[in-house]
Amino acid sequence: MRFRVFRFDPERDARPRLQDYDVRLKPSDRMVLDALVRLKEQDDSISFRRSCREGVCGSDAMNINGLNALACITPLKDLPEPVTLYPLPAFPVIRDLIVDMTQFFAHYHAIKPYLVNDEAPPERERLQSPQEHEKLNGLYECILCACCSSFCPSQWWNPEKFLGPAALLQAERFIVDSRDRATGARIEFLDDVYKLYRCRSIMNCTEVCPKKLNPAGAIERIKVALLRKSA
Amino acid sequence: MRLFSGQRAFVLQRLSALVLLAYLAGGALWLAFGPAPTFSRWQAWSAQPLAAAALLVLAAAVLAHAWVGVRDVMLDYLRPLALRLAALGAVATVLAGLAAWTALILFSHVLAFA
Repeated sequence: MRFRVFRFDPERDARPRLQDYDVRLKPSDRMVLDALVRLKEQDDSISFRRSCREGVCGSDAMNINGLNALACITPLKDLPEPVTLYPLPAFPVIRDLIVDMTQFFAHYHAIKPYLVNDEAPPERERLQSPQEHEKLNGLYECILCACCSSFCPSQWWNPEKFLGPAALLQAERFIVDSRDRATGARIEFLDDVYKLYRCRSIMNCTEVCPKKLNPAGAIERIKVALLRKSA
Repeated sequence: MRLFSGQRAFVLQRLSALVLLAYLAGGALWLAFGPAPTFSRWQAWSAQPLAAAALLVLAAAVLAHAWVGVRDVMLDYLRPLALRLAALGAVATVLAGLAAWTALILFSHVLAFA
């Protein structure tokens, strides 16, 4: 199967280049990650991240034939050749398909991705009703692969200031959590022309989320929550 | 609602979009089921004070929607503050001028037919 892969080694290359490969697949190779592992056997200089190989860790997010996706759950049979593999768009490239996610995780940490609750803890655990837990569905499943944020034009334009769909989806996850006591502060933190309102509902995030989540919807709900707060 | 937080622009964009949607639907229904549109019929209709007021609301919604859109582009692309403020000021002036001009045309039209 033919592949065209983005290659860049900052220690050797002045500029990135695309390298063509003809990868000899085995019958058991089903996903793009399988092909990348075969490719690595042919050319061990190529670098990419991977870990769980089943769409849970989010390590192998990359741009496959123009769309951000996880290599481990993208079937090869659906892809026209040559399969082009780029690193996540707009993120600084460390080497080949590996990107620097420092800024991405800085935005994630900025929304305080943990429960804030200073009340004395109960004897066993902070319980939720099924209805309260239901609100977290579609939010907590985010694996922070960055497919959404890297494919968001608003993030391309303001990478340092706009928090991006992944961080905002996580923000919504804690805003709606019945056990959290910092809802007001969380919403107030997001009331900013850059942090939140750079989202123009382009919906690339929702289009490419490998977990089929809806960050654009979460962002819209935060905007409505802010509106209710100021009404 | 905090000043310059982006929420005003968000609300203005959504409200103006709703107004435009209502006018679009109304206009489509009018074209589909109303009498055949002619210039003289349009001229007579728009000379009624209520119709002129409705057209003024439509123009205001278009201009408000345009303001938010252009403002968004400028926030993204114009980084130096002085340049951004100058460009936003120029756009606001042009849009305000267009609003005043539209109002002038509509009300002189109403007065001419009164």
